[in-house]
Amino acid sequence: MIEARSMRWARWAAPLLLGALGAFAPACASGRHGTPRPGDDNDLSPLRAGETGSAILCGKIVTADEDDRVISRGMILVRNGRIAYVGPRAAVPQGYELLDCGDQWATPGMVDLHSHVHSGGFGDVNDMVLPANPDLRSSPAVRPGNSLIQVACAGGVTTLFGIPGSGTTHSGFGLVYKTKLNSPFEECVVRNPGGMKVAQSYNPERRAGDFGATRAGLSWILEDMNDKAVGATRQGRRAIELENLQKVHAGELPVLIHSAGSDGWTAAARMWQNTYGTRCVLSHGCFDAHLTAPWIAETGARVNAGPRTMDHVSTRDGAITGTAERYLAAGVQSVSLNTDAPVMPQEELFLQGTMSARLGADSYLMLKAVTIEPARQFGLDERLGSLEVGKDADIVLRTGEPLDPRARVERVIIDGKLEYDRLRDGQWF
Amino acid sequence: MMLANLFFMLIGASGPTGATGDTRAATPSLLAIRVGKAETIAKGTLENAVILVEGGKIVAIGEDLPIERGIPILDRPAWVVMPGLVHAYSRLGCDSEGGEDMSPEVRAFAEVYPKAEEFEKVVEYGVTTLGLYPAGNGIPGQACAIRPLGATREEMLLADGCYLKIIVRATASSKKLLKDGFKKADEYAEKEKKAREKFDKDQKGAKKPEEKKEEKKEEPKSAEAPPSFSVPQDEPPAAAQDSKPDEKKDEKKPDGYVPPEPEAKVKPFVDMRAGKLRALVSIGSAAEYLHFLDALGKETISWDLRVPIQRESDLFYVIDKATYELEVDGIGEKKCRVVLEPVLSVVPGTMRNRNLPAELSRAGAKLVFVPRNDTLPDVKVWLMNVAELVANGLDRATALRAVTLEPASLLGVEARVGSLEKGKDANLLFYSGDPLEATSKLEAVMLDGRIVHGEVNP
Amino acid sequence: MIQRNLLMRSFLALCALGLSTLPARAWQESGGDEKKDEGADAKKKDEPERWFVVKNAEVHTGTGLVLRDAMVLAKNGKIEEIGHELDVPPDAKVLDAQGLRVYPGLVAISSAGLLGFSTSDFGDTLNPFNSNMILGLATGITTTGTGGAAVKLKRFSIKDAVVREKIYALFSYSSRNPSGRRTLREKFVSTAAWLREFREWEELVKKDKELKEPAKKNVDTSVLAVLKGEQVAKFNANDRDDLFAIARLAQEFGFRPVIEGCREGWTVADELGRAGASAILTPRDRRPKDELLSREGGSSIENAAILHRSGVAIAVVPGTESVDLGGIVGRDIMHLPIEADFAVRGGLPEEAALASITSVPARLMGIQHRVGTLEIGKDCDLIVTDGDLLHYETFVQWAVVDGKVVYDKQKELYFAHIRPRADAPVERKLDKGETEPKPEGDAPKEGEEEKPKDGEKPKDGEDKQGGDDEKKGGDGEKKGG
Repeated sequence: MIEARSMRWARWAAPLLLGALGAFAPACASGRHGTPRPGDDNDLSPLRAGETGSAILCGKIVTADEDDRVISRGMILVRNGRIAYVGPRAAVPQGYELLDCGDQWATPGMVDLHSHVHSGGFGDVNDMVLPANPDLRSSPAVRPGNSLIQVACAGGVTTLFGIPGSGTTHSGFGLVYKTKLNSPFEECVVRNPGGMKVAQSYNPERRAGDFGATRAGLSWILEDMNDKAVGATRQGRRAIELENLQKVHAGELPVLIHSAGSDGWTAAARMWQNTYGTRCVLSHGCFDAHLTAPWIAETGARVNAGPRTMDHVSTRDGAITGTAERYLAAGVQSVSLNTDAPVMPQEELFLQGTMSARLGADSYLMLKAVTIEPARQFGLDERLGSLEVGKDADIVLRTGEPLDPRARVERVIIDGKLEYDRLRDGQWF
Repeated sequence: MMLANLFFMLIGASGPTGATGDTRAATPSLLAIRVGKAETIAKGTLENAVILVEGGKIVAIGEDLPIERGIPILDRPAWVVMPGLVHAYSRLGCDSEGGEDMSPEVRAFAEVYPKAEEFEKVVEYGVTTLGLYPAGNGIPGQACAIRPLGATREEMLLADGCYLKIIVRATASSKKLLKDGFKKADEYAEKEKKAREKFDKDQKGAKKPEEKKEEKKEEPKSAEAPPSFSVPQDEPPAAAQDSKPDEKKDEKKPDGYVPPEPEAKVKPFVDMRAGKLRALVSIGSAAEYLHFLDALGKETISWDLRVPIQRESDLFYVIDKATYELEVDGIGEKKCRVVLEPVLSVVPGTMRNRNLPAELSRAGAKLVFVPRNDTLPDVKVWLMNVAELVANGLDRATALRAVTLEPASLLGVEARVGSLEKGKDANLLFYSGDPLEATSKLEAVMLDGRIVHGEVNP
Repeated sequence: MIQRNLLMRSFLALCALGLSTLPARAWQESGGDEKKDEGADAKKKDEPERWFVVKNAEVHTGTGLVLRDAMVLAKNGKIEEIGHELDVPPDAKVLDAQGLRVYPGLVAISSAGLLGFSTSDFGDTLNPFNSNMILGLATGITTTGTGGAAVKLKRFSIKDAVVREKIYALFSYSSRNPSGRRTLREKFVSTAAWLREFREWEELVKKDKELKEPAKKNVDTSVLAVLKGEQVAKFNANDRDDLFAIARLAQEFGFRPVIEGCREGWTVADELGRAGASAILTPRDRRPKDELLSREGGSSIENAAILHRSGVAIAVVPGTESVDLGGIVGRDIMHLPIEADFAVRGGLPEEAALASITSVPARLMGIQHRVGTLEIGKDCDLIVTDGDLLHYETFVQWAVVDGKVVYDKQKELYFAHIRPRADAPVERKLDKGETEPKPEGDAPKEGEEEKPKDGEKPKDGEDKQGGDDEKKGGDGEKKGG
């Protein structure tokens, strides 16, 4: 009987519903209402019931989008944690909470691909179970909301790739997470495992024993493990300890390679970019690595420079060289920066951009080097790195130019939520 | 000609080369040398040079000079002759350690031991005059000039008290040491002035005939025993009268005034002020050059510099006054001698060469080279190192002078050695070609007219 | 920026002149006393006059005065005039700072290694050619405090570089050492008491010549020097309690303490302000508060701003006091202005941030009559920059000490390749018979490889600079990505 009644209800209700759906259909297809998706257009429609949103008015918006748009006297609409609108000021649609930030500058939340602050300090950073432990994970060491993460957030750093240290060659898998202050761990995670960490050289060397006496030994260990994973994939074999490594070789997960010096840098590029064809990011690149910049540019490898961004010795002409500028000048297409926190304080990620600009790199490119570029390098740019419709609403509001140390961070919004507010929480940095 | 051949066969038969005993007797005391080229140093290069050596001295030198019949001739048309090398800043053959910092009275000559192995070897490598300085820090003492061969120390000595080595560092204590030395010299000058005044006063008194007796008393008074600096002595001790004749013999002034003798450690400073002793100041950097001039203050003593050159030497800052607008004269303006190694340095922080010795020389300084290290292997290749600098822009004549006549002047023996000129000691080096070419061999060494190394068979 | 017309400019120049006639405070100096008598005409006749002028610059004097298209004229190393259309002697050395700014030479309250290896006896140990000094000048520092002395980065000379010695009387007054604290306090009590008696006696003895001087018992020489104003009392303290106690001590005995560290100063700012204290601090100092204590504490980026608001003078020192060329950029003495920027981040006004690396350190070290601002009669120590000194892309183009150019960015190896200057030549004095200034740079001498001229690539074939036209890095063009 219930069936019959529901059928009868459906008989006259269906056309109404269909009609209503029909009316809404074009809107749904274009994502006009509801949570914005990547690729959507600017949306000025009012909020619906059950949705949250804020309208941020500010003096300047540096979007870091593909067109490098900079909007003066702009407005950002955040809807359900995503960006619904980025553009000149317009009438605030109904339902949006107003956040008037006066003359402040809005930029995307910053992204650091080489960070060790997830555990809250120098402890728990490095674990060395085996000489190569690709199945080690950094996520269990996370202390969410620890003080280092808190200050990082207050410094405008919103996304981190928290990785194991460089005591071993295959160091393990890190997680990509956001620096949310009062959320449970699960809500902070962006991707776990977020990517693999490898230390090619300049740390794991032990001059004997389980790593071999030279870099030849280190290299062999890396290749051996890689070949095992590749082999298992080809043979269709299931190897639990190699699963994540297999994903790296399949291009599903990126790999961040700690390496330095001209020798380590080129070895890493040769192995991970050329030989194995992974989605790799070469990290550090200090000392004389920048001398190999033209060749690195040719391989198409991605560069993540830091914490050392200056070299005085290698060019042998007395010049104080900014390594980021060198990579850009040589034609490297993708350059990002890191802090290797806590080697450098996590919240000073922007300063890496500042100092690289001081030493000759273009300052706008250096802003991108801490926002969209690291996101793109790690395949996170669908969600983060720039202020574009459909992306996560990770927004930093400052009193001035983002690379200028004098400009303080006033507000940090992550996933649309006001995580840090200087007036409310005090100035942590 | 036959006589000459006979002579040389005798030399060849007389024993192993380099044995001083054998060949010394063999070289005739009158010898004519005819070679393709002679680097005289003083008057440039002579072609078809003829040098006449007699009694250990050069008695004639010129181009194409006719040789009297009967004089044995050493005829080598392909060879090049140059003066023996003068290594003016060495401790070869010496092994003492040095004592207290203020020891200007110490003399290196005291350490010379004729049978030291290094001396024989050094001659083999072409060094015919050696300047030896005392070991130690601060103001270690005075150098001497020796010929490396001799039966006794005295036979080897050419000159003593050649220069006073003074090490100046950029430290308060080092500068103070130098200033203290001059302060002591000031005190002595005061003392000497008082003694002089007293003497003059006494002299005036002696003109009155009644006081002739007193004169006899006064004169001894003026010939005082050396006063000590702790207690001024006005009354002559009885012993002074005994020493009177000696002192009068040494230092008698026309009017009989004999100045008091300064303390041993003070005398070198007094002598420097009087122009009787030169200083060789050892500094390590451009900064220390400035600090040395600061410590020197208004003193007008004669000084030369010793600066060990390292690869990243910053001495270029003080080559001349104008380039970096110094407040003091640069080394070039001072026209002093600079004792340094023939080494190329680099522009600091880079790999770009710079030829500091050449720059110093062009600015007016007088170069004195020493081997790169004060060791026999480095003495052996000394000229090759110098050649490298000539290849990199150092003037050739300056380079050759820097290993011969200039170090001889530093030692104050330029009247005797360092160039091929009439009247100078016959210290000659016989090369099979240009001495600055690596392919040339040092065929023979002549010291005071005697072949002391090498076979000179025709 | 406010536009001023010619009249205003002249008026301001006159004001500057007027202000500068205020007599300088007499301080004890060691060395360099000859310069004090330069006003004596007799000496002037003997000394040749050495003139120097910077022209066409935006001059920031550090006193609050900014003059546009102005000149700074110096005679024998001292500032003679600052203004417009000054009479410049024909043989003066001229520095054309068209389009550039002039600031007072920076005064680092503390640094390490800029003067060579030594930490004392600077008159005898200075190395005026060392590379750290060049880097210090490249940062804009012309005077630095070090080892209790204030010394100029007087490159190429060792004469008269020491401005003042034995500046500080160092005290320790910490709750961690209660007996030491008590002892120091007692010293203050007894010394102050003696000083009071002594002053009274000085008055009374004028009438009663027989009166005996009060016995000097329990008088501490350092404390006495502080109370008499001959030395600066310096403390090293970070904890709130210690800072509070020092403030109280200072108020009780009437001296103005200089406190190095001052981490928790923001928690007792009022007290420190009342005590006339000055703080030497590092804005990026990071220390969490003691978790065992409930009250606020630890470091704060707002430390400088809060202290400043309470009247405490701020001098900034970076985290690393020496030059660090290891590769991590931005934390050492070469980034002194950047450190001051972080104080601005915390709320310190920009003028105070500038003062924290110029006039305040000069005042703390008692050498403000010589350096710290550009005023007539002071030493001609200035820097020419290509922009706002506190902006991160600004470089020092020239540094001048005692009226002599001692650093030229394009002539040193370090930064010449970064945004190189299209050179405005330094005019040289003309010799008789010359009609044109001598060309810049030396012709390569024999044996010396040619040094690259300004902006040129090095000649040895390796492409180190990556192409001259690439130096600017794209000017905002889309690159990468």
